Amino acid sequence: MIILDPADYLAIGLSLKIALTAVLLSLPFAFAVAYLSTFVSFRGKLLMEAVVNLPLTLPPVVVGYLLLLLLGSKGWLSPLLEHLGVRIVFTWRGAVIACAVVGFPLMVRSMRIAMEAIDLRLIQASRTLGATWHDTILSVILPLSRRGIIAGSSLMFARGLGEFGATVIVAGNIPGVTRTIPMAIYDYAASPGGEPLAAALCAVSVAISVAVLILHERLGRKGRG
Amino acid sequence: MKNLLVAMAIAICAVSTAGAGEIRLFAAASLREVVGELADGFARKNPGCRVSRNFGASGSLARQIESGAAADIFISATPEWVSYLQGKRVLVPSSISVLAHNSLVFVAPREKRVASLQELDSLERIAIGSPKSVPAGEYALEALRRGGVEKLLEKRLVMARDVRECLKYAERGEVDGAFVYRSDALLARGVIVKFAVPRELYPRITYQMGLTSSGALNREAAAFHAYLQGSAARVIMARHGFDPLVAP
Repeated sequence: MIILDPADYLAIGLSLKIALTAVLLSLPFAFAVAYLSTFVSFRGKLLMEAVVNLPLTLPPVVVGYLLLLLLGSKGWLSPLLEHLGVRIVFTWRGAVIACAVVGFPLMVRSMRIAMEAIDLRLIQASRTLGATWHDTILSVILPLSRRGIIAGSSLMFARGLGEFGATVIVAGNIPGVTRTIPMAIYDYAASPGGEPLAAALCAVSVAISVAVLILHERLGRKGRG
Repeated sequence: MKNLLVAMAIAICAVSTAGAGEIRLFAAASLREVVGELADGFARKNPGCRVSRNFGASGSLARQIESGAAADIFISATPEWVSYLQGKRVLVPSSISVLAHNSLVFVAPREKRVASLQELDSLERIAIGSPKSVPAGEYALEALRRGGVEKLLEKRLVMARDVRECLKYAERGEVDGAFVYRSDALLARGVIVKFAVPRELYPRITYQMGLTSSGALNREAAAFHAYLQGSAARVIMARHGFDPLVAP
């Protein structure tokens, strides 16, 4: 059994932390987008859906580069970021944002599927009983789309753990700060004699993914009557 | 259908052997421009010869060659990867020779005030080649270690895939400075050399090259290999900022 380098334990912890933060950060936004897509019709809806789904079809590196153009030190949003005193690229925050953007369409999709399965009559019933739109969301839509929320979260978490292309462009490969498991594996794979360590990290990656999938199945099943 | 399969099989076979007059060169990323000029000079004297180039971090290239990538000549920015391939019986021992030397410098935007390794503490992010596969990163890390600042800068080192990516990070302003070779600094735009890393802090940067077993059988590759060791090549290398072969 290969003992991992201490730097690799850091990479594992970082991967978990970044993916988890990305999921938690995206939950409210994804829910809002999914709700709008399913229940509200408005001008520009198609455009919103196209933009949200873009990271799914674009190569992650392109997503990373676009984020860099947006959030970099010479990017479009840099005046605002400088004013707020916030640095995104080449920091932990940049890694979280890259993960969040890349996994966002996955979470929205899962939520939408669950929301679309909700019986409209339940929503109408709540309205006739006098609930406001936000009341309906909290008491009807949210609980009934719980499975979709969990599925979307675990999918995005798993995707975030494996995110490499966008992250390496936006956050760079900084050991201890942004070097996640895929980057560590890439480092080892690119260097002669690094196979055992790359293989060890791959095994850890697989183990984590399997754990997430099992958890996802379990949580999904609990909802059944 | 059978004809299609036969054609594909021939095409696949054709890809793995060098065409006539083709020299497959795998070279360290820092050699990009100088190899361009060397290849042109060689092609002028040997019309019909084409040098196909694959640039990257020397460690990554060694890995590719070891895994079966087709190459005739390998030029590494450190003897380590040449010895490694020699040990794997991939390079012909008698063909291994020194091509050039180089020195390590630190580049940063003009407005940054840093004149020595100790003053790096004032910077937030420093680009360095990934030491596992990029010789420039290995040399730089060694210098940081011997200079006593490795622990200090621990979480501020941004790992780059090769030395040119390091330079790009610095030029784009994504990092506050980068460790690159003096030859790379000559090509830098927007950043200048802030200081040369003291020579005693890192091993002598030695570019070693060798012919692979298939390269030794390739007449043109052997000729190019000989050309690289000639005086014309030395002049070109010196012009691009590489240290001469004579001992300092």
